[in-house]
Amino acid sequence: MPSRVLGLSAHYHDAAACLMQEGRLTAAAHEERFTRRKSDAELPLRALNYCLQEGGITAPDLDAAVFYEKPFLKFARVLIGHLRSFPRSYPSFRRALPRWLQDRLSLPLTLKSELGFSGRTYFVKHHLAHAAAAFLPSGFTEAAILTADAVGEWATLTRGRGSGSRIRVESEMCFPDSLGLLYTAVTTFLGFAAQEGEGTVMGLAAYGKPAYLDRFRAIAAARPDGSFALDQSYFDFYGEERMYTPRFVEAFGRPYAPKAEMDQRACDIAASLQALTEEILLALARDLRQRTKLDDLCLGGGVFLNCVANQRILEESGFKRIFVQPAAGDAGGAMGAAAFVSHCLWGLPRGGPLSPYLGPAFPASRCRRALAAAGLTFRELPEEKLCRETAKMLTEGLVVGWVQGRMEVGPRALGNRTILGDPRNPQMKRFLNDRVKHREEFRPFAPAVLAEEAADYFELDSPSPFMLLAPRVRPQKRAAIPAVTHEDGTARVQTVAEAENPRFYRLIKAFRELTGVPMVVNTSFNRRGEPIVCTPEDAVAVFKATAMDALVVGEFVARREEHA
Amino acid sequence: MSGPRLCSRCVLPHSPPEIALDGEGVCNLCREHERRPPADPRGALLESDFVKILEAHRGKHEFDCLVMCSGGKDSTAALYYAVRRYKLKVLAFTFDHGFETEDAMANVRRAVERLDVPFLTYRSTFMHDMFARIIKTGAPAVICHVCAIWYMRLTYQMAARFDAPLIIAGWTKGQMTQQPVLTKCACNAAGPEYARMGRATAEFLAGLEGDPKYGDFPRSIESVVAQAAKKHKCLVLSPHWFLPYEVEEYVALIQKELGWQYPRLSYPAQTTNCALNFLSVHWALKHYGYTHYHVEMSKLIREGLLTRAEALAALRADFDPELLQRVARQLGCAVQDQEAA
Repeated sequence: MPSRVLGLSAHYHDAAACLMQEGRLTAAAHEERFTRRKSDAELPLRALNYCLQEGGITAPDLDAAVFYEKPFLKFARVLIGHLRSFPRSYPSFRRALPRWLQDRLSLPLTLKSELGFSGRTYFVKHHLAHAAAAFLPSGFTEAAILTADAVGEWATLTRGRGSGSRIRVESEMCFPDSLGLLYTAVTTFLGFAAQEGEGTVMGLAAYGKPAYLDRFRAIAAARPDGSFALDQSYFDFYGEERMYTPRFVEAFGRPYAPKAEMDQRACDIAASLQALTEEILLALARDLRQRTKLDDLCLGGGVFLNCVANQRILEESGFKRIFVQPAAGDAGGAMGAAAFVSHCLWGLPRGGPLSPYLGPAFPASRCRRALAAAGLTFRELPEEKLCRETAKMLTEGLVVGWVQGRMEVGPRALGNRTILGDPRNPQMKRFLNDRVKHREEFRPFAPAVLAEEAADYFELDSPSPFMLLAPRVRPQKRAAIPAVTHEDGTARVQTVAEAENPRFYRLIKAFRELTGVPMVVNTSFNRRGEPIVCTPEDAVAVFKATAMDALVVGEFVARREEHA
Repeated sequence: MSGPRLCSRCVLPHSPPEIALDGEGVCNLCREHERRPPADPRGALLESDFVKILEAHRGKHEFDCLVMCSGGKDSTAALYYAVRRYKLKVLAFTFDHGFETEDAMANVRRAVERLDVPFLTYRSTFMHDMFARIIKTGAPAVICHVCAIWYMRLTYQMAARFDAPLIIAGWTKGQMTQQPVLTKCACNAAGPEYARMGRATAEFLAGLEGDPKYGDFPRSIESVVAQAAKKHKCLVLSPHWFLPYEVEEYVALIQKELGWQYPRLSYPAQTTNCALNFLSVHWALKHYGYTHYHVEMSKLIREGLLTRAEALAALRADFDPELLQRVARQLGCAVQDQEAA
């Protein structure tokens, strides 16, 4: 009986690979972490090599490979889209065509030439892959499913339900009516990079008022069931330079240059876009709840990396529980496609709860060598001492890089490739943004909090292990944790349970014993524009290039003052 | 005892003109490495590159590959990977020139038995006279280099004779030559680190012209490769070039799966080399102040795969003089013969 399948996403952004064996997710990783190119879209050769190695197999041992979309359907949409926009679309079409012919339409041949794999290759529709990624690892027996992203083949949003190992997509919205593309178009209007700056816009929204909401509502005309039609006179999704038209500029003013100062207008536009997004998603979720009468909802697709919208869906849609997997974007599409083949096609039983720690880990010998090769002085400590010493450094106001165990899958660092700080320190946010992360001063930082004490600080009554909810900080606690309380009084919380990440849990516990506060600042271990670190060597390089005070890699602790 | 002044980053000694330390005690090779732009991770070899090569040859010959087994950790791991990981039809091959240690041979025997693969041992004293000549004439030729030329020629011949299109060795990343993967043995003999050693070995081999026993002995490893390329078209490669595992990881694996054991006596520490190696190292240190192991480990240090402290510990050469005499006696010589020559 077949049981080993390699899942792949590639060619647009965020290429990734995963391996499922006997219905269990053995490994998953983004290609960017290995190539050090942010959002790397190339065929994920390094990630898939890692996945096979983690699974202890080689490509000829695979029963199948599966791709996260259907390339010919997508090519048809691209062809039609370019024809409709001709001649304006000609330059981008000319650029795209060779890529389609060389790589995208010939995946089985590519897998044979690159991997020596000549077995069966499946193709799962893009939004079905998102739906599978959302539902199959959710632990729910039956649930409603809502997916939304920029665009797959044609679909931009789907609604459906999952039951056991069956997934049914019941309705869909199609290109060019896309919430994801709308969000990305406005992101680029505000001067941020597409597929990277959407989270920044969500953070910026807290500083504005939805003064432009009516204008956005006029552009995205909503129907009673939550679906909508985008007025295409405002957008040019096949445009060579911009995703929006002069009419959009007339409505919202001049666009922002990259790295421009964010004025009140920018904040208001971001707030309005965020408000519209929440309105649409809430309407869709309420309608879905109405029609399915189910208590559980699974959310998939890059739009649901929007933790602020997720929180509102949890609180206001009528569903009792929601599940958003840590790699909700296209990287998760690889996981969804593999899960679809494993469970829905092959009938293998669905597994236990999903762990985000699916990337590579490195042995102590490698960690030691990386530190030694960089000329760092370091000490090796047993775990209890390691956690206590790290917690103590945090109480002293130090910023600590923390690299442990298997790397996370998904865009969030969840305690294994993380930069840590003291949430009580009002200067921490500015220091981290200015000196370590080198990013905009308005970007918020997240707390990683002991799961059992999260409700004392946040208006949260369900776990948030993947940092995909943004509950309000309880008013009486806001002053106690200024570094993680965002402008709007919310926080992007990660709840940490001992069973999920024992060492990270013990570190937070040690901090709590010293301070009474059961959380630490947790931000991804990278610099602006770079992927999160993967190897000990990557971590050392970022440590040396920033003003971080200490680096903990495995059981080894290096402090900057010892190298001053 | 104070030895030669070593580079403060790697373990190569000040040995001008090829290896020279600057004012900060850093050698020219480390400086050159420092000047190179950081390696693009996309250029690194991947296991899938290796698998592609294997798949191109699988099932087309009597054996898929011949694996060179010395009983050391690297070649034993290579044998393990070939059989268990890549499921190749393997011919294990080892040779004994009379100096292989019992510990090494026991490791080879255990591995082939547990992996249940055909095993070919080649024993010969053919090279003894040549080794003895190096000692007696005081030639600064490196015994290991001469031996490697013979061993590689023999391996190519065996691969051809037993119809194996691939030769798999246990060479580490420190023994890797240039990309792309090519059919070449261990050392980059053209590198400055090997310049003097290479010249000395070449001069010694040139002196064999017309010798009734060794007249047709290859003059360099390049000539062995060139000859093999014409005759057998056999590719030589090592899984360690393509795999990301640390030595500690695969040692733990072969200890568990194959009962592999570290030999009681070896140089460098925690390796498995023949007894003649002690003599070879003794004279290489005397003539050059370093050995090919220093070169390999320096490369590993520059690549961040070994710390300098680990290398220094492994390269400590405090051999028992009686051990050296015993090996020399086996060749009908004495250690002092070379010193007197």
